Amino acid sequence: MTVRTSRRERRRQARLEEQEQSIPVELYGLRRGTVPLLTALAFLFATFTLIPIAWILINSTKTQANIFETFGFWFARPFDFFHTFSLLFQNVDGYGTYIQWFGNTALYAVIGGVGATALSAFAGYGLARFRFRGSRVAFYVIIAGLLVPITALTIPLYLTYAKAHLINSIWGMVLPSMVSPIGVYLMRTYAEISVPRDLIDAARIDGGGELRIFFRVALPLMVPGVVTVLLISVVAVWNNYFLPLLIFNINTKYPLTVGLGLWSGRAVNSGDADLYPMLVMGGLVTIIPLIALFLVLQRYWRGGMLLGSIAN
Amino acid sequence: MSAIGLENLSKVYASGVTAVSGLSLDVDEGEFVALVGPSGCGKTTALRMVAGLETITSGTVRLSGRIVNDVSPRVRDIGMVFQNYALYPHLTVAENIGFALANKGVPRKERNRRVREAAATLGLQDLLGRKPRQLSGGQRQRVAMGRAIVREPAVFLMDEPLSNLDAKLRVQMRAEILRVHQAIGSATLYVTHDQVEAMTMGDRIAVLSGGRLQQYGRPRDLYARPANLFVARFIGSPEMNLYQATLDDSGDLVLGSQRLALGGRPTPLEGRPAPLEGRAGRPVIVGVRPEDLLLGPGETTSSSGSGSASASDSDSASDSLGAGTLTADVRVVEPLGSEVHAIFSIDAPAAVDPDLTASAEETDDLLPGLAYNGVARLDPRTAVRPGERVTFRVDPARLHFFDPTTGLAIGWPGDRAPDQAGARADSA
Repeated sequence: MTVRTSRRERRRQARLEEQEQSIPVELYGLRRGTVPLLTALAFLFATFTLIPIAWILINSTKTQANIFETFGFWFARPFDFFHTFSLLFQNVDGYGTYIQWFGNTALYAVIGGVGATALSAFAGYGLARFRFRGSRVAFYVIIAGLLVPITALTIPLYLTYAKAHLINSIWGMVLPSMVSPIGVYLMRTYAEISVPRDLIDAARIDGGGELRIFFRVALPLMVPGVVTVLLISVVAVWNNYFLPLLIFNINTKYPLTVGLGLWSGRAVNSGDADLYPMLVMGGLVTIIPLIALFLVLQRYWRGGMLLGSIAN
Repeated sequence: MSAIGLENLSKVYASGVTAVSGLSLDVDEGEFVALVGPSGCGKTTALRMVAGLETITSGTVRLSGRIVNDVSPRVRDIGMVFQNYALYPHLTVAENIGFALANKGVPRKERNRRVREAAATLGLQDLLGRKPRQLSGGQRQRVAMGRAIVREPAVFLMDEPLSNLDAKLRVQMRAEILRVHQAIGSATLYVTHDQVEAMTMGDRIAVLSGGRLQQYGRPRDLYARPANLFVARFIGSPEMNLYQATLDDSGDLVLGSQRLALGGRPTPLEGRPAPLEGRAGRPVIVGVRPEDLLLGPGETTSSSGSGSASASDSDSASDSLGAGTLTADVRVVEPLGSEVHAIFSIDAPAAVDPDLTASAEETDDLLPGLAYNGVARLDPRTAVRPGERVTFRVDPARLHFFDPTTGLAIGWPGDRAPDQAGARADSA
């Protein structure tokens, strides 16, 4: 009981603090009417973004006939949610099982996402806090990597993979996912802001080796940045369609994107009875882990990491 | 064998900026040396070269006799306190202090004992479980010290450790640092821009300007015998009054329209053989400390005129005041309780400080009638008021002379260059 009270009390405190810190809009040179207008625009945008999620949630409860014949934004009988959900565990017409694709996706996303985050953190910290021959050029090359569209790389990538025997290999999916130019860029910027040079110098004077300094001093301060990169990387792998399409031709290795694409094509071509509800349900289940991940990681985005460390 | 030995140490940045140039000095075992100078004089760069955090362009750094130019900071056996403390924000006070010991692989039990010991030395026992953000500025400062002393390093480096504290706390921490220094006995190199800190704390002081050593010696020697104009201005507060003057044929000093008799002796200064010999008819810069200007008894007269009235309108009057006196118009009086600073104007051209942008004339434009070119430190019971004309008695033996072209002090044996004078000025 006391815990709940104190938590409520804390929330109230936070709200009060926020109110105290908020500055009248006039001081920013805005007119009073501007704020409601902008709020309305933001609300519209939020609605626009959330509408597909609402649609998918509602239609996951419907039968195939109802999906097409009833109003898209309201429920209809019969309530077919659990039946459709159970179908996700079945192999449909030998095209593959949703749950297997889900497992594949999770595997690729965890290894690729965590790998990309680790490499980005190492590289970003290195580029931010060490000056070495070619460090600048290396960084610019990485930035340039951001600008190259993946489609431009299709043929060279496929030929390289074929030579390296990475076709139908999990490593063909995971290794490229670990290279994240945007991750390196973000981590470099974040490390520059959040890890003061003096702190590293102090750790060196204290006799710390570079690896120990990274893990014991720098990394804890980079956590909000690391979490951001982790989320971006995991989502990137989770949603990646092009790469797995290129390298996998066995449906047991497919991730969700390619698997659902296969079902989708099948549904359009054959008019198969239960494929549309399964596609809707599949889409819903696909986004749930990402929302969960976001909610779990949210608490790591906090400011004031350096409070008390460096006097100005 | 000295604990720290710098030999001809130089640092030139890739941009071509020279931060430190030919710096040579020794710090003996257990000695506390203050490295002082204005901001940008290269003192922090020099300290960082000793720590190994900055590459050395040329010269050598020796720690306990061993050349360490290419030795990593982590094995130099130094403790360092940073200007901004640089505490590990996510670690507790105990973990901050014990970090170095953990790096060395000291067993936990031993580590805890030594952390508690260091904490006790600094009065941090009750704060060991706290994070830096839960500490006050003074406590953070102490944690930074604790982190440095816990390893009992051979050499202790401090980079303006008190500059982030308020004035009162700074005075307290000054004493605290000296106490800790005496307790651990490590050779200490202490960087500061505050000459008061340097004077009160240093066994010896090295004055740096423009990356060059100006003088190195005991505080009282630097104060009593500054090697050049820079040191004369930098050490002492209020700073030394400096005027352009000429030595006339009779051996008197002529400052503007005033004449200061040196008692007919060309060698008025104790221990200085013939300082002004052969300089008759040539310009010199003469310096006098604010406390060496003594108010002549009953010599104050009310100045009838405005600020424009100065000694210049009474050449004969100033002559008649006799040997060793100067006439001045008091502009501002600053009572400090223990003493009074009388800010005055005197009809003598001040020796212009090349580092100051505003010249005397500009000051006059800004504050007409308030231009001043000197300060006297007087007894607090002195009844001196702004607008008064006063006469100061000056003991010629307490005057300082400098060559206007080189800026070097005149009168010390050999008239050595400041860099050379620095090395062993204290032995004089």
